[in-house]
Amino acid sequence: MRPESPRQAVSFAKRFRAPYMAGGTWLQPVWERDRCWPGRLVMLNPGWPGFRGVDENSEGLTVGALTTLDELARHPLTDPYLPPLKGLMNHVAGPGVRHLGTVGGNLLAGGDLLALALALNATVDLVGGKGVNSESLAEWIREPSPGDLLRSVTVPDCQGWPVAVEKLGHRERFSPTRATVACAHDGRQVRLAVCGEGGAGRLVVTEAMLRDQGVPGLKDLATVAGSELQALGWRDARLRLAVRRILSFLLEEVNRGV
Amino acid sequence: MGFDRTMETRGDIVTLDTGSAADSPSAVNLHRRIEGRLAYATDQQELPGLLHGAILRSAHPHARIIRVDSARAWGMPGVQGVVTAADVPGLNRFGIVVRDQPVLCDDHVRYEGDAIAAVAADTREQARAALEAIEVSYEPLPVISDVTMAEQQAAIHDTNGSNLLARETLLRGDVDDAFARCAAIVEHQYQTPRQMHAFMETEGGVAIPDGQGGLVFRVGCQSGHRDAQQLADILGLAPDQVAVEAVATGGAFGGKDELTIQPVAGVLALQTGRPVMIHLDRFESCRAGMKRHPVSVKITTGCDAGGRLLGHRVEAVLDTGAYASLGPAVLANYLDHATAPLYRIEAYRVSGRLVYTNNGVCGAFRGFGGNQATFAVESQLDALAQKLGIAPTALRRINLRSPGEPGSRSQTVRWTAPPADVLAEAAASPLWSARHAGAGRWLTGTGMAMGAQGNGLGDDLPDSGGGQISLSPAGRIRVAFGFSDFGQNIAEAITCSVCDGLGCQEDDVEVVLGHSRGPDSGPTSASRSSVLMHGVLTSLLPRWKAMVCHQAARLTGYPEDGLEPGPGGLFLNNHQVLSYRELAESSDPDCMVAEASQDFPVAPGHEQPVGRYLQLQIATVARVAVDRLSGRVRVTDLHHVTAAGRVIYPPGYLGQIEGAAVMGLGMTLTEDLPTRDGRYVADNLDQYLIPVFHDAPRQRVDVLDNTPKDDPFPVRGVGELGIEAVAPAITAAIEAATGIRVRQLPVDPGDLLMALSAQEQDL
Repeated sequence: MRPESPRQAVSFAKRFRAPYMAGGTWLQPVWERDRCWPGRLVMLNPGWPGFRGVDENSEGLTVGALTTLDELARHPLTDPYLPPLKGLMNHVAGPGVRHLGTVGGNLLAGGDLLALALALNATVDLVGGKGVNSESLAEWIREPSPGDLLRSVTVPDCQGWPVAVEKLGHRERFSPTRATVACAHDGRQVRLAVCGEGGAGRLVVTEAMLRDQGVPGLKDLATVAGSELQALGWRDARLRLAVRRILSFLLEEVNRGV
Repeated sequence: MGFDRTMETRGDIVTLDTGSAADSPSAVNLHRRIEGRLAYATDQQELPGLLHGAILRSAHPHARIIRVDSARAWGMPGVQGVVTAADVPGLNRFGIVVRDQPVLCDDHVRYEGDAIAAVAADTREQARAALEAIEVSYEPLPVISDVTMAEQQAAIHDTNGSNLLARETLLRGDVDDAFARCAAIVEHQYQTPRQMHAFMETEGGVAIPDGQGGLVFRVGCQSGHRDAQQLADILGLAPDQVAVEAVATGGAFGGKDELTIQPVAGVLALQTGRPVMIHLDRFESCRAGMKRHPVSVKITTGCDAGGRLLGHRVEAVLDTGAYASLGPAVLANYLDHATAPLYRIEAYRVSGRLVYTNNGVCGAFRGFGGNQATFAVESQLDALAQKLGIAPTALRRINLRSPGEPGSRSQTVRWTAPPADVLAEAAASPLWSARHAGAGRWLTGTGMAMGAQGNGLGDDLPDSGGGQISLSPAGRIRVAFGFSDFGQNIAEAITCSVCDGLGCQEDDVEVVLGHSRGPDSGPTSASRSSVLMHGVLTSLLPRWKAMVCHQAARLTGYPEDGLEPGPGGLFLNNHQVLSYRELAESSDPDCMVAEASQDFPVAPGHEQPVGRYLQLQIATVARVAVDRLSGRVRVTDLHHVTAAGRVIYPPGYLGQIEGAAVMGLGMTLTEDLPTRDGRYVADNLDQYLIPVFHDAPRQRVDVLDNTPKDDPFPVRGVGELGIEAVAPAITAAIEAATGIRVRQLPVDPGDLLMALSAQEQDL
């Protein structure tokens, strides 16, 4: 189905219980694997206003959900706002997938960008049955409303913030993320986020400890972050250890930039 | 042939140059292959009357089949043929060593890739849709998935009393006595993974009725002649009614040594009377295709206080999966390598068991069991050196065999360079002097391992092959062999050899490969093709040269002994007097056909091979960086010192060593296909992770060749050599970086990280 507007897309998706389709790089292999293709797809149109492109505004930097990963990586505003993105993008899928895959698809699939967006306290614009509304990305991924269509994601003006991100995959390139960890300092506090095999989310308890204690001992960080990761769904102790170590490494990097 | 452009010479040793190799004029097919422009058998979509086949695979890893009802499939759109076990006209079994695998299962399924029925339809989609209409009733049976318990469980083949398919022991001396005299003994358990070939072109091909009751197969395969014999038996046809054309194949690595889609395509083609193409997609290839044998082994090795190896005990278990395929031969090669062919050991007891399970099917894979054994043996040497407090290179130097010494199986061995020289070159690698980081995020280290690889099919297997040379009607020097070209570029190696032998140019030569109705060269496996090709051409070229000169003399009236073949035609006193085209146009083609065949070289005094007579060596030095944050290992450099005879086609030599090494790197770091209750846990290349370009390290390939000019076997096959020592070299480098020795592959970053963390807490 090729809806004429985002509202119609939402209506089609709800009426026919049909999935949205953008780049298809994530969904297609899933369907192929299951040998179960949906009868209907709702094709999203990158020509709809606000759905594609990168825009600097009073809120910060807004990226259309149908912007391809490659477009985002090459955009001139990306470097000043998101300096670590270029390095990270080299580790996101392969060139062919980056040409097709979209920012929205990556966020929805729990891809690498999610940790960075969460750490930057991103907000999302969603098209629903009643129009467009904004909410925090962290809240939205916790309880997404079925059928809501992601129009764009906005990160605050983070130019000058020390931001660091690290991906752990199975191999050097073209690997699903095992864990992507992001760390940002907004001038007042450190924000930490993670996505990957154990799930995605902000590490708010660890952030609070950092806020209260300044630079904690490694042992404290390991204990608190380890517990928080476990509560989030990171059951593999070995992977938790890796995430804790990466967190500690990124914190040092970010603190050096403060 | 650009030899000087692709090799840098330093005394007896030369370094192959990667950049120049890619520019070689012979590398045209390399580029076509890389760019996806090489036509495979499954690209022949325009064949008149072509049907597409699809295979119904088992829903269970182990079950009894109660009933197969395919009636509804006949009524599905586009369906032209449906076959079950009852439709196999001949022997419903295949297998290179033991014919135990059904073409279409009749009463049992033994792994999740077992074929039960198949459909031919106008389109692939219709064929697949019709599979859904075939009803199969199963009675599930207990799944035998733990190889260590399999021998105590009910046999999965009725014909065998147990799941033990083969057991073999190699003995030398009194092992107990030898261990009693050891000053140092190390004992460890090692495990290697079930690796997938992951070729670019998945299994596929087409069976075409020849109009006279027979079939022609155009497929990606490794042995057209052997396949034709098996197919004739399956299809109930006379041997001369089956022809196999092994067309350009997108990688094989042993995974296409056994029959793949040919039997089912053949049965469907006979039933429908139309060409039937079957091409597995990646999911089906993962599920049904051949894999490398996972090996679990306990090794005990001991030496005296001076480091001389005295005792060596090996107890290995190989999981062959549901069917034998080449498993017994893999076991034999594993054990041969487990005797440590490079080193003198006073006494050994090397035993192995090959066991049936419901875990897929394992068979031939580059290295053929040898590299799994070398991983364990080389790791043992490092452990022993550590226990003695001497350098790993020193321990090896003490025990390496000398040229002229018998091999580990007491057979005569023909090396191409002294093993000690190979070790010396590896010990002098610049990778050892690279600075090792002791602090910070990355821990770096360098390690090395050695390996030996024999050419030829090996123990007790008859091995021979031939070739033919003629002048085509268009005036090209047509050289025919039965080998398949699946990326190793044997055609270019043949072209180079012919150009060297006749003084002609590459454009004059036309290589025809893989026709079962042409010369039988034997299988394209066991690193044997180059040896046979060189032997056959050495016999053929002078004879053919004489034939051509004789014919040219008759046509031109010039004296026969003054004529010489050269670029484009025949020359007298450096002036061309006749082109090859003119020669072909004026001659009876049959008067210029030469054929030759030969037995694969075996050690003098033996009729059949024992161990390997023609031996190659490699020493691989690896440099790694281990991420202290995650435990991930990055291999930054591999330096290979090879002694594998004369290099006749540098790009091919380089490609084989580097490619095999990256394959070994995959096996060491990321590749494994474990099963859960007899089902693979990964089903595609997004879950089964092979190395990508960024994982491929810098590589240097050195060639050390001391073969004398009159050596009868100066050319060796290097298809498997590069994989031999990679794994133990990488794990040695990891140990150098971290102090932790990994004995289970692939290296698990999580386990390594935990070990690193525990080590830090101990400090």
